[in-house]
Amino acid sequence: MIDSDNAKTVESSFAQSGDGRASARVSRETISTVTVAILCVVMLLGARFISPSLGSWSQVETVLVLGSFLVVLSFGQGLVILTGGLDLSLPALITLGGILATNWIGVYDTGAWYLLPVALLICAGVGLISAIGIVWLKVPPFIMTLAMSIIVSSILLGYTKGTPRGASPDAALALMKGSVFGQPAVISFVILFVIIGWLFQSRSAIGRYLYAVGMNVDAARVAGVPVVLVQTLPYVISAVCAGLVGIMLVGYSNGATLRMGESYLLPSIAAVVIGGSSILGGSGSFLGTVGGAILLTTLGTIISAIGLEFGLRTIIEGTIVLVALLLLREEFFQKLGSLWR
Amino acid sequence: MQTNTTPAISPRGHITDYLWRFTRGAGIIVLTYVAFYVLYGYLQPRALEPYAIAAQMNNTAPLALAAAGQTLVVLSRGFDLSLAGVISICNVVLAVMPLEGPGGALVSVLLCLLIGASVGAVNGWLVGYLRMQSIAATLATMIICQGIALVILKAPGGYVAEWITYEMTDRLWSIIPISGLVVAAVVGAWLLIRRTNFGVSIYAIGADESAASLSGINVRRVRFFTFVCAGMLYGLAGFMLSAQTATGNPTSGTPLLLLSFAAVALGGTSLAGGRGGLFATVMGAATLTLLQKVLFSSGVSSFYTGLFQGLVLIAAVVFSGFVARIGDKK
Repeated sequence: MIDSDNAKTVESSFAQSGDGRASARVSRETISTVTVAILCVVMLLGARFISPSLGSWSQVETVLVLGSFLVVLSFGQGLVILTGGLDLSLPALITLGGILATNWIGVYDTGAWYLLPVALLICAGVGLISAIGIVWLKVPPFIMTLAMSIIVSSILLGYTKGTPRGASPDAALALMKGSVFGQPAVISFVILFVIIGWLFQSRSAIGRYLYAVGMNVDAARVAGVPVVLVQTLPYVISAVCAGLVGIMLVGYSNGATLRMGESYLLPSIAAVVIGGSSILGGSGSFLGTVGGAILLTTLGTIISAIGLEFGLRTIIEGTIVLVALLLLREEFFQKLGSLWR
Repeated sequence: MQTNTTPAISPRGHITDYLWRFTRGAGIIVLTYVAFYVLYGYLQPRALEPYAIAAQMNNTAPLALAAAGQTLVVLSRGFDLSLAGVISICNVVLAVMPLEGPGGALVSVLLCLLIGASVGAVNGWLVGYLRMQSIAATLATMIICQGIALVILKAPGGYVAEWITYEMTDRLWSIIPISGLVVAAVVGAWLLIRRTNFGVSIYAIGADESAASLSGINVRRVRFFTFVCAGMLYGLAGFMLSAQTATGNPTSGTPLLLLSFAAVALGGTSLAGGRGGLFATVMGAATLTLLQKVLFSSGVSSFYTGLFQGLVLIAAVVFSGFVARIGDKK
């Protein structure tokens, strides 16, 4: 992202000699992850005072099921942000996943589970096109993904002629409505997803390459990181995650709409930022992002339980993003760090 | 990168030299626009009547003004997403609180400018003084503005004052469209501002922020006022949009966001900042709205408008990046 490059060069040329060592970065990530986790628990317990039905185990279950969409989605968004980009095409890709699941698979045969990977492959193709535009043609990430977003939406509008039809595939219904060990199946699925996602981002070689590219592309290239591949991958993964969320949503609500993805874009960015990742890339962890996603979902459930109107909820969401961004600036953490030492 | 910050001395004659400065590299987009209009005139013979031209201008004005504001921010090397929110707020305010008569219209337009300037001031403060990344900061203010618009008006409805909807979409002496005059006034004002210290500073910051800072430009203050000016232009865009649609819609600004970037890119303004101009953006916006008409009159389903807009946007960015790279190699 051009803007981020600028901010970085300016930052580095003017910055005070801040502690750039890995220990400082890790502690910063741990601080925000722990803070977010504590906030979640406090809010869930505190919610009892608002309404007695809140804060119960069934409430926690609801939050986990509703939060599963955001967890999966913000994994992809987090990888893109990690490499210094931004994916604004998620709403269109969620809708693409959902429409393919109902309008195509659902109309053809709801039992055809083997077609779901094909739907995800189509989403991956869209992500690949975005990546080609960004990595090879040097289109700024948010312009490219915004353009892909309206292109995909427009094609879906034409494909469905404005009214999606068809039923949800059985596999999607089983995932969202079925149960494993007496709990909703999706909770086990998300826990598995989080473990794999965390291993990929923080423990695999490719994951470390992503950090390297996000911190400094030129240095990564000199160090022998396959930069082109590493920059392409996040957009493909992000597209697949969004398509998966589309299929999950279809399983949850029994059908697709053309605007089903719209309300997920801003929370996906917010979850990553609240989770302690730098919007400039190069830092953050998936566990932090998961915390951010759960926190946002908890907040959303509580706010809707209070019965605030949609407009006010939007204002609160925006303010949270803004405050998170303000608090997560590097300077803030440097100050915090200097207080402790 | 910095070659365009100082006016190039052209060996050409006086008038052509002036024209070159006026269009500031807008030649390609003007030619594209003319070509599209010829195509449109061929598909739709009535396209050349004053009524049709005025209708086209009315369609263009909101996007042209919004994209003009976006150009200011892009020139200073930033992105402004709050555009969608500001336009929506102005639109719902005008629909919830219609003020009749010329006096009412004056109050309305001042109100819109004030709304835009306030949001712009917040953006400018966040980006200029708190040094937040422009996309992140304006993303947050956009969400908040959209929330405010939804609080003011929950669902589409309301009526914009009749005086505004009739007069602002009318033609002066039944030839010159008022909306065209508003856009022309903005372009004219920019041509004056561009020669001031402030105008030059915007280009300088966009080209190289640290160099600009070292040469004594108050980067923070210039960024702040760039966002304020951009916000006021969004306010004006919201005013013109309300005049055209005559009703309120809390999400009316959203479709203009992507198109504003497309117009900026089509006008050849570099998304990396420091190069480009406002007139070219206005022509880019005009070309985009004309493209919709051309597609419609050539029988393409309106479902696929977004497909073409997205492709045009990508093509424009790739092309302008290509031209910039050739320019850098010289």
